Amino acid sequence: MKHIVRKEFTDVLRDGRFRWCSVLVGALLLVSLGHGWVQARNAQQEHAAAQATARDHWESQGEKNPHSAAHYGIYAFKPRLALSFVDEGVDPYTGTSVWLEAHRQNDFLLRPAQDATAAQRIGALTAAQVLQHLVPLLIILLTFGALAGERERGTLRQLLATGIGRRELALGKALGIAGALALLLVPAALVGAAALVVGSPGPAASPLARGVVLAGVYLAYFTAFLALSLAVSAWARSARTALVILLGVWVVNGLVAPRVAVDLSKWLHPTPSALEFARNVEREMASGVEGIPRPDRDALAERLLAEHGVERVEDLPVNEVGVYLQESEEFGNRIFDRNYGALWDTFERQGVVHEALAVAAPLLAVRTLSMGLAGTDVEQHRHFATAAETYRRDLMRRMNGDLADNSRTGDTYLAGPELWEETPPLEYAAPTLGWVLGNRILSILVLGTWLVGAVMAAAARVRRAEVT
Amino acid sequence: MNTPKSRHPAELGNGRTPLLEARGLSKNYGATRALDSLDLAIAPGEVYCLLGPNGAGKTTTINLFLGFVAPTGGQALIAGLDVSTHDRETKQRIAYIPEQVMLYRNLTGLENLEYFAALGGKGALTQARLTDILVEAGLERPAVDQRVSEYSKGMRQKVGIAIAIAKEADALLLDEPTSGLDPQASNEFSELIERLKDRGVAVLMATHDLFRAKETGTRVGIMRYGRLVTELGTEEIGHADLERIYLKHMHD
Repeated sequence: MKHIVRKEFTDVLRDGRFRWCSVLVGALLLVSLGHGWVQARNAQQEHAAAQATARDHWESQGEKNPHSAAHYGIYAFKPRLALSFVDEGVDPYTGTSVWLEAHRQNDFLLRPAQDATAAQRIGALTAAQVLQHLVPLLIILLTFGALAGERERGTLRQLLATGIGRRELALGKALGIAGALALLLVPAALVGAAALVVGSPGPAASPLARGVVLAGVYLAYFTAFLALSLAVSAWARSARTALVILLGVWVVNGLVAPRVAVDLSKWLHPTPSALEFARNVEREMASGVEGIPRPDRDALAERLLAEHGVERVEDLPVNEVGVYLQESEEFGNRIFDRNYGALWDTFERQGVVHEALAVAAPLLAVRTLSMGLAGTDVEQHRHFATAAETYRRDLMRRMNGDLADNSRTGDTYLAGPELWEETPPLEYAAPTLGWVLGNRILSILVLGTWLVGAVMAAAARVRRAEVT
Repeated sequence: MNTPKSRHPAELGNGRTPLLEARGLSKNYGATRALDSLDLAIAPGEVYCLLGPNGAGKTTTINLFLGFVAPTGGQALIAGLDVSTHDRETKQRIAYIPEQVMLYRNLTGLENLEYFAALGGKGALTQARLTDILVEAGLERPAVDQRVSEYSKGMRQKVGIAIAIAKEADALLLDEPTSGLDPQASNEFSELIERLKDRGVAVLMATHDLFRAKETGTRVGIMRYGRLVTELGTEEIGHADLERIYLKHMHD
């Protein structure tokens, strides 16, 4: 076996096509890793600076009515997790910052994809894209002739005449090719690990554990591709046929399936356009919906007067305006929960379709897991958005509560810097690795099935490989 | 006409166990009978040449001994072991040289030999010993370290012989090994076979070359339509006799 591994390794290294392809893929991988890391670090630094400035502005408001402060609002920035430099996921499309203000659950801002030209969208190359698309292509180019080529050249007869078994031969070839690929991938993995250790661009959320699992995901993906390529090479009558079939698989996996997954998931679980969504929220906010009526200010005043046994709102121990504003907030929150909840649930159902379709294309499972581990998937966007919205509601409650409790109806009330300072900043804790993996069981199962299926197919096809 | 049975070496009085033996060996490809109840026994130090036109069953016989195809009936035995049930053990006893020895173009002759010898279970041979084997097989010393992409067909056939020497194979299966070689290269190849025969190697060679069969073989079997139609000892006949007998069987 070791002789086959060594020979295959030598053969691959001496192959000019491999040298050129690996130099190209290796360079793209290192450049995309480096570029991604610098970009992630810069973004994180900009976010940190902007967050500090926003906080500074918040605390320097001077004397102001708390409700005016609530309208003044504050920005929240989604932290870039350490591995986001490998896979930027949906961040360019969803945005990474949100303005938290009174009466409104705003959309996220800073969406680079919104401002990008078509060429930029095609040309944006991340390490994840190199790993998901180009490395499998390299595996195909190295493996398509492994058995079909030996058979075509006549060397398979001579090899098998030595007494070596078909499976031993195929395994030796797989390990030899894997060894050559390791020359390309191990340095890249080390660079990635060094980047994590030396200067993690984002806050800690088990970066090394996430990195190890991410490496395992890609290892499983590459092994599945290698095994699949071997199976096709053992089955095909000629190396050319094997190449054509495998390139077809690559196109379906990398280009067709993702497109189909997006279209099919949108068709099965349609979402409103941004304009439709905004109009719907606006309409419901204006008139309320069944079960969620708009707060009635007169009824509120009467209730307060009755509760406190006074006849005029000016005599109430609380500021009726503050109470009303908070009731309005609560009303708005229910409308937002209803609309955003439905929207997020639809996204989640679309995600399930996406994950399920990975049975036809392992890339879909790998992409989902890669984004999840990098902290850049829709689920973690939702996780942050929920935390930011919870913070906003707490902030509004605090401002309205201050107005209600510390002033009377009709007063001109101004709060001081103490209120702004004692309002805690948003402390966001990214989800744990267990949370991420728990949400991605389906993708893990599908990728595992692909791996086991491809290895079994390779074993079966190799055992039955024709000699001539 | 009854199919002749190859004389068992024991019948020749040499008392040796056959290294290559076919017992009622048959192979069908669909409705086509490619090999029909072949009985054959080749003892150590014997060179058995199978003659016959294309499609006579020569290559099928070799493929059955190599275990590349499963027999429809009968047995192919190497050193008494059935090829169907002892794939690895039987292959460790044999070497195979096809019409065109195909090697790895990116590797040198020495690296090719090292690889095939190692796969054949001879991993401990030194580079010097492997070089000596290549030279013994007739390769010029400077060619040993050249990439095989620069080799002629004759040079590749010599590497094939070197693989057999390095493997210390007990039996050699040759499928048209001199086809396409120039007369000098063919002659050199025959001399190498002669040397292996003298070392006690049993050789089964499929060939179209009547002259080479008479010169190299100790026995000749003539095949047609998958059947062994006659068998001759080469010492009993001359070149002209062999040609006459061959043509007679082809026209029957």
